[in-house]
Amino acid sequence: MNISPLNVVLLVIIGLLAVGIYGLLITRNLIKIVLVLQILVKSAMLALVLAGKVGNNLGLGQSLAATVIVADTVVAVVGLALAVQVRRRFGTLDVADISTLRG
Amino acid sequence: MAGTLSVLLIGLPWLGALLVWLSGDARPKILHILAVGTSVSAGLLSLILLAFAGSQPAVNFKFGGWFGDFTLVADGLGATLAAVACVVGSLAVIYSVDYMQGEAQLRRYYAFILLFIGAMTGLVLSGNLFFTFFFWEITALCSYALISYYNDDPKAVSGGMKALIITQVGGVGLLAGALAAFSNLGSFQIADLLKGATSIPAGLLAFIAYGFLLAAAAKSAQFPFHTWLPDAMEAPTPVSALIHAATMVNAGVYLLARFYPAFAQVPGWTLAVTLVGMLSALTAGLMALTATDLKRALAYSTVSQLGYMVYAIGVGGVFASQFHLLNHAVFKALLFLSAGAVIHSVGTRDMRKMGGLGSKMPFIRNVFIIGALALAGVPIFNGFWSKEFILEAGLKQGPVWAFGFMLFGAGLTAFYTIRMTWLVFYGQPREQLHVHDSGLAMKISTGLLATGALTTWLLAGPLSGLMSGSLPYHAIEPISTINLVMDVLTGAGTWLALIILLVGAGLWVVVQRSPNPIPQAHWFTELMGTFHEELVSSSFGFEWLNQQVVAAVKKSAAVLQKTQTGELNWNILGIIIALLAVLVMLFWGV
Repeated sequence: MNISPLNVVLLVIIGLLAVGIYGLLITRNLIKIVLVLQILVKSAMLALVLAGKVGNNLGLGQSLAATVIVADTVVAVVGLALAVQVRRRFGTLDVADISTLRG
Repeated sequence: MAGTLSVLLIGLPWLGALLVWLSGDARPKILHILAVGTSVSAGLLSLILLAFAGSQPAVNFKFGGWFGDFTLVADGLGATLAAVACVVGSLAVIYSVDYMQGEAQLRRYYAFILLFIGAMTGLVLSGNLFFTFFFWEITALCSYALISYYNDDPKAVSGGMKALIITQVGGVGLLAGALAAFSNLGSFQIADLLKGATSIPAGLLAFIAYGFLLAAAAKSAQFPFHTWLPDAMEAPTPVSALIHAATMVNAGVYLLARFYPAFAQVPGWTLAVTLVGMLSALTAGLMALTATDLKRALAYSTVSQLGYMVYAIGVGGVFASQFHLLNHAVFKALLFLSAGAVIHSVGTRDMRKMGGLGSKMPFIRNVFIIGALALAGVPIFNGFWSKEFILEAGLKQGPVWAFGFMLFGAGLTAFYTIRMTWLVFYGQPREQLHVHDSGLAMKISTGLLATGALTTWLLAGPLSGLMSGSLPYHAIEPISTINLVMDVLTGAGTWLALIILLVGAGLWVVVQRSPNPIPQAHWFTELMGTFHEELVSSSFGFEWLNQQVVAAVKKSAAVLQKTQTGELNWNILGIIIALLAVLVMLFWGV
């Protein structure tokens, strides 16, 4: 496999995705969950830019990435606000303790 | 013209339902006016539609793709039933103006009734099996919502749930049959199924036929699904009259009649239909003997009369069954509505507490007796002609043993009808009940229905002409009213049935005359009491069917509960696995 810059970017995307998913599966602290979610979304963002480059439509890829930044920020803000509320109401940030939806 | 009318018959009640729902509970007068206005205009339009009936689709809207064409066919079968639904529907709505006076949540009531009327016309007019199923399910939902209308009463809630569960069992049969037909014919059109029935492999055709029989038996409360109808009597009485006597329960009979030409060749199918009808007519007749609740007694008699119609289809008398369906819709709606007037007036449904009400509400007594005589099959009243016509068909084309049992059923009918009438209107008052006469709206609708119970048999000729002209696959011979009357009067079955009927009626007189009249301790009551506790309270043991379904659902819910851990990480794992599954499927191009 020849190591071209595009392949490097692809590897980075897969790496970020793996870190994000792994983090989501094992993290129990709500703030850390918001954090790994950010990592996951960054991989998607990078993938958009890469797709723009490969598809010879760099402007579109970059503008979509900029849109994702905005949406992603909103997600982070709402997630952190929820975390604050959860901490106030339950007195903990551990998701294992917040299982009121258990059947 | 027929197209516009068909669309209006569905659209007008549904528009009414929407308007009623939007107008809120604050001004009941507007609700009454809206409901009566839309339903009565639909009733009038449905009568006009009869003049434009034809076998060709009146509406053909191309949905395209998997759904095929949405067609409305106003043929003899569909247009007649649509007229029954709309006319009886409008009378029930008029009656409700009095009956539901001062109820708190009137718009919920009217909205569901109007939604039901529209769905019922859609069900019988639809020429596309998929949409038949769609309307079929809407009627089941409306029935559920209206049975449970008094939703603070646990009996009403459980009765509605039971009706919904059992009719859903039938809905599965209809859907499975429709999909099986689609898999072979590539079309949901009913006309295609009737035309192409011979080209379908025998096994698949049998699957469709028995699927539809299951659907019909569940919807029409036939053996062994007859347990839901008596519990449905918790509904307000106009609902019982409209949905559980005159229209929705006929949907099963309609389904069998509609597909009779396609399924008649399936081995054992006609015998199965005959048996279902016969067993329903007999068991329900026996249960009606012991009922002490006025509405439950009427419900059992509905099951029994529907059994007669199913039996008629089983022996090949499609027209006889539809003729009885029309007459039954009229006289049973009349019986329910006048029983409702009694219940509304005295405030109880228990016949043991009534008695001697006839002199206090003479108008209601008179119309009730007209309905009761029609139910018992006494000459001149409409029930006589159609029931004898069914028995004639059964004697000529069906097995003799089935005919014998149906004759016995006719005697039973006469017996329980007289018992019911006597207990309510005659004899000594057994409890001091406050009685008030019924209102004008009640009198209008019961009066119109009583006129119908005296005259609808005159429509036999036009009805058979309509059906033979617009149903190309059914091979219905047109018969004029005069010929039908002569047929019935000269038939051996008629005289046998009349004798049996007299015996049934005479038996009541014997029971009544003997030392202790009915409600007290008495050999007859004791006999019936044992019978009642052992068998009837569990509907001859078929109550377990409902209980099995409920238990199975609860058990599976308990098992599935374990997957609800409430932990975020497990939920994320589920999401990721599902995502991977979708990706794999896309990759393989499944």
